[in-house]
This record gives sequence, C-alpha cells and structure tokens, in this order.
Amino acid sequence: MSEAATAPAALTSDDAAPRRTGPNALAWLILPIALLFALFFVLPISLMLLMSVLTGNPMFEQGVRFTPENYIRFASDSYNWEVLWITIRIGLSTTLAALLLGYPLAHLMARVHSRTGHALLLIAVLAPMLTGIVVRTFAWMAILSDTGVVNATLMRFGLIDRPLPLLNSETGIVIGLTHIYIPYMVLTLNGVISRIDERLEQAATNLGAHPLRAFWEVTLPLSVPGILAGSLLVFALSISAYVTPLLMGGFQFMTLPLLIYQQISASFNIGFAAALGIILLVISLALVIGYNRVLGLLSGDRDLT
Amino acid sequence: MSASIHIERASKVYDGAVRAVDRIDMDIREGEFFALLGPSGCGKTTTLRMIAGFEQPTEGTIRVSGKDVTGVPAHKRDMGMVFQNYALFPHRTVRENVGFGLRMRGIDKATVARKVDRALEMVSLSAMGERRPAQLSGGQQQRVALARAIVIEPRVLLCDEPLGALDKKLRQQMQFELKELQKTLGVTTVFVTHDQEEAMAMSDRIAIMNGGRVEQIGTPSEIYNRPKTRFAADFIGDTNLLSGKVVERDGGKVLVVAEDGFEIPGADHHPGGVVHAALRPEKIVLHPDESDAPCIVRGRIDSANFLGDSILYRIALPKGRHVLARAANTAHSRMLPPGAMTRLDWQPSDLVFLAD
Ligand SMILES: Nc1ncnc2c1ncn2[C@@H]1O[C@H](COP(=O)(O)OP(=O)(O)OP(=O)(O)O)[C@@H](O)[C@H]1O
Ligand SMILES: [Mg+2]
Repeated sequence: MSEAATAPAALTSDDAAPRRTGPNALAWLILPIALLFALFFVLPISLMLLMSVLTGNPMFEQGVRFTPENYIRFASDSYNWEVLWITIRIGLSTTLAALLLGYPLAHLMARVHSRTGHALLLIAVLAPMLTGIVVRTFAWMAILSDTGVVNATLMRFGLIDRPLPLLNSETGIVIGLTHIYIPYMVLTLNGVISRIDERLEQAATNLGAHPLRAFWEVTLPLSVPGILAGSLLVFALSISAYVTPLLMGGFQFMTLPLLIYQQISASFNIGFAAALGIILLVISLALVIGYNRVLGLLSGDRDLT
Repeated sequence: MSASIHIERASKVYDGAVRAVDRIDMDIREGEFFALLGPSGCGKTTTLRMIAGFEQPTEGTIRVSGKDVTGVPAHKRDMGMVFQNYALFPHRTVRENVGFGLRMRGIDKATVARKVDRALEMVSLSAMGERRPAQLSGGQQQRVALARAIVIEPRVLLCDEPLGALDKKLRQQMQFELKELQKTLGVTTVFVTHDQEEAMAMSDRIAIMNGGRVEQIGTPSEIYNRPKTRFAADFIGDTNLLSGKVVERDGGKVLVVAEDGFEIPGADHHPGGVVHAALRPEKIVLHPDESDAPCIVRGRIDSANFLGDSILYRIALPKGRHVLARAANTAHSRMLPPGAMTRLDWQPSDLVFLAD
C-alpha cells in the first residue's frame, strides 16, 4: 500500500516541477470565461449580498447603514417560513417525481444496444427542451384544466364525479416542473449508468440473483452519484423556477422566486428581495456541499490505496 | 454435484446478420475440463454466454445433465462464471463479493462466513477479505472472481479467458492452481482461451473453433497428433501443410507433392483429387547430405534458431517453399549451419491427412 501511495505522488511532483518554472500558455485560454464569470456571476451576487444588508441604495440615498433588518424581517414573519416551506416542498416533490420517472428511462437508454434505439430515446428526452418553458406550461394548462383532456376523459368513463384539481394546485406545479426539468435528471443519470459495466449485473444474476435483485444490489448502489447529482440539479432548478409555479399555480401559490419578484415589482423592497435571493442561494450551496460530503464518504475508502 | 452439457446445432445470430456461432455441437462430460480454443472473434464468448444463459441461442438446444435449459434464465442455472474482466462488484469488499452468491441463496450468515473463509483460503486470499477490488492486483482480483464462482458449488464452472490479463509467470502459476482446484472440486469446467499452450496444458479435451464453427473436438494429444482440418493443424503448434495428389503406383500409394517437387511413398489415403496433409516439424529427421543416400526430399538450411531444448530449422525445398523442422537438443547433436544441404526424412505414418 505504501509504495502505491508514494508512486503517484512522486509522479505528480515530477511533472508539476516544469510547470512551475514558467507561465503556462494554455492557462490564458481560461481568461475569457474567468472574466465572464466575474462579470455575470461574482459581481451580481456580491451586489445582491451587499443590498441585502444595507438599509437602502447608497447610489440614491444618504446615510445608508449596514443592517441585519431584512433577515430579521424574514425570520420573524411566519408567512415567509410558509413560502420557504412550500418552495422546498415543491422542489422535493419535483425531484422525487423526476427521479422515479427518469431513472427507468435513463437505465433503458444506457442499456439499449441499437444505435437507432438510443438516438430515438435521446430525441424523446431532448425534444421537450426545444420548446420554450412558457409554451410547454400553457400546453399543460390545456391538458390539466377542469375541462382539459385528463379530467374530461376520466369523467367520460365515470371514474370521477368532479374534476380533479390538477391545475392551480401544487400537483399542477410539480407536474409542470417535472416535465421541464426531467431531461437534466435523465441525462445526468444516463451518464453514470452507462459507465456501469453491464457484466456486473450479469455476474450477479449468474450468482443466483433475480434480475431485479441484481439491479438493487449492484446497479442502484453504483448509480448513487448520478442520483445525487441529478437530484441536486433538479432541486436547485425547481426551487428557483418562476414561470411554472406562477402559471400552473394559478397565482395562488407563493414560492420564493415569486415572492422576490413581488417584493421588487410591487413593493420596491429591493433589500428584502436581495435577502430572499441570498437565502435561495444558501439553500443550493448547502446542497452542493452536502452532495460533495456524501460522495466523499461513499468513495473515500475506495481511494485509499 | 457436477453436470454434463450437450449443445446441439446451436447458433447465435446477432442483429439478424452476424453469425457469431454457427450450428455447433458439443458434448461436455461430467467433471471434465473442457477448453474452447480459437482466434479472436470466433464465437468462444458467445458460446459460453449461451451456456450461462446470458444469450438465447437463435436455433438449437442446450441441455444440462439431460435437461433442456433453453429459456431457463441465467439466475436459475446454477453455474459459476469467471468473466473476461472479472466483473467484481467495485462497491463491495472481497468478502462481500465472494459471499454474494451464498447470500442470494438465502443461506444464513454464519454458514456464509464459514464458506467464504474456506473459499478465500483456497485461493490464498484470507488476509485480503476487507479490501475492495480496486485495492487488489490483477492476479488477486482473478482469484477473488474464481472464489466467488466456486463458493456456490456450481454444477458448471465457466471461465472466459480468466488468465488473459496476467503476465506469463503468474499465468502459468494460476493455470496450475486452477487445474488443481478443478480436480479437487471435480466440477465440470468450460474454459475459454485463445492461447493454445494454455489449452493444451490444462484441458481434458479441447474444442477448436473458427468462424463460429467447431473445427475439431479432442484430447490435446489427439488434436496435436491427429488434427482433422488445416485450421486445427495450423492453430495448434507449428506445422507444415503439404498439398498434393495421391496416386497408386506399383501396388502402393504415393502422395505427389507437385508444387514442391517430391513424392512421399506409403500414403495412407484413397487416390483422387487434391488432398492436404500436415507434418509436425519434430517428425522430420535431418541428415547431413550424402548425395547417394535415399530420402524423401533434400533441402538447404535457411536459418537455424536455437530454442534451448530444441533447434528449429527453416529449410528451403527445391522449388523454393520453406518447411520447419525441429531437432531435439541432445548432448551429441550438432547444429547444422545455414546454407548446408540436408536430407529430410520422416515416417509415412507421421503424415496426417486433413479433411479440408
Ligand atoms: N452483442 C453483439 N452484437 C453483435 N455482434 C456481436 C455481439 N457480441 C459478439 N458479436 C460478434 O460475434 C462474433 C463472436 O464474438 P465472441 O465475443 O463470441 O468472440 P470471442 O471468440 O470470444 O473473441 P475474443 O477472443 O476476442 O474474446 C464476433 O464477430 C463479434 O463481433
Ligand atoms: Mg471473448
């Protein structure tokens, strides 16, 4: 074990040495993206952070001070907690739905052998992404409304007496979000599952495991990194969604992004909106850190040698 | 409890076009060490996968101990397989890998632990139980794969080039260990390899495959001494392929090898069209040329390779073709120098006539 540990270390220090002697020409290639990142990510977020702890806009007002007021305001009103909880709940439901629907599809895509089959599945996954979110959301509204296809069909066959509350409900929001964000889940999972050697499942069945058991014992645990990454992506995207919760929720459900917009456009309360934005960001950030921790725990002992 | 395997006219066609396996017949006996030998792409893995149940034959049947298993899913076949790349579960320890099959059979924990211990001991890996596959060397991984397959005491052990990734020394050691283990357990073993020496050293019988078909099935010595086809003769060991016509002359039969300009008396084959024959290099006896002495053909030494236990000569025949001749390296033998003329002689019965 000790030779194994020292050998790669020696290697890296060997080829790191010449790199330190002069500036690497290739390093300059990341300059454009670094600038872009600074301009469109670091700058706005720093400004947002700043706005959230100031009493007003220093460009237009005098005597602006630092204050935790916006955060205190958030914490002290149970309405805000309610909004946060709804946002997270919708995010969790969407993630779960996308995972349950997306996993079998991703698995199929990873295991289908014919090129055409794979191409068709990929198109099926990507096609929804080619139309805009607003268009897709309106399509769902037509399908899910009280007189829409689903309710009309169910009532025709006498399965229900009254239309199901599919639209203007949390269910509607989750359906809409799932549809929009499921490609991210499928593509992430597919990347991980297609790298799992099929022969591992075959080895399991050869040892007497029913194919479902083989899946449970081998493929599923090995695809955990994909499950985590896909879930993280879908969750982060759906808690920050704006259009779908607005339209599918029938203006009745307040999520954090909707509240932020309302604070800016209706109440001109930019400081509070900024604080809400930071809270949203912190949630996503916490998830990313958690994700890395879990992955580290899962693969930690594997990388010991 | 070991099993016999009967494959009857089994074929596997992929995507309606690729005939990976073409109407093969095999009878593998109980407790036998049976090798599938052939060049890359000849259908060895496909045959093994059909026996294991990962592929369904497009036509034909496979019976295990007399029972038709066509259509029986892999997890009900009770066969242990060692995959070409080992296919160890990367997220499980060595112990968990080896115990997997027992756990699937619902065996209680204590028994599993006991059997895993014994299996690991058999492959001398007792100290590595808590490691993950990635923390093992290639040879150790191979032994875990073997332990995982034998611990379930399968009816049949299937090995797909299990030693392919190992260096020569380790490979020979593992060949020996695997063979010993197989003998102790008495388990019917189907062993895929494209290494003819490995097949010869380990097997009770060998099936030579080529282009999805079986060329010949026989014991190593049968296949070496009595190859049936040109392919079999050429694939196993060095060989000289001769072709000519058998004619009757003076009440005896003579093989006229027109293209090399010599005749071989005492040809034991019926007269007629073109026939092919194989002659092993070590069957050729070389004498330094003394112009009047009788022999089958004369030639000139082209090159002489000293191989330690023997000397391999490349000899040019009168019409330009080359043959190989091998002379044992004994104390009083002396090496013939390149350029020397030599007489080539052999027993007529050493000439093996081939089916095609
Ligand atoms: N899933 C598949 N789809 C299509 N063709 C296949 C498939 N698997 C194998 N083949 C083809 O069938 C033929 C036999 O393949 P097989 O894997 O049995 O060869 P092999 O004898 O095991 O070769 P190697 O020694 O290289 O492992 C090859 O021509 C291969 O390209
Ligand atoms: Mg193969």
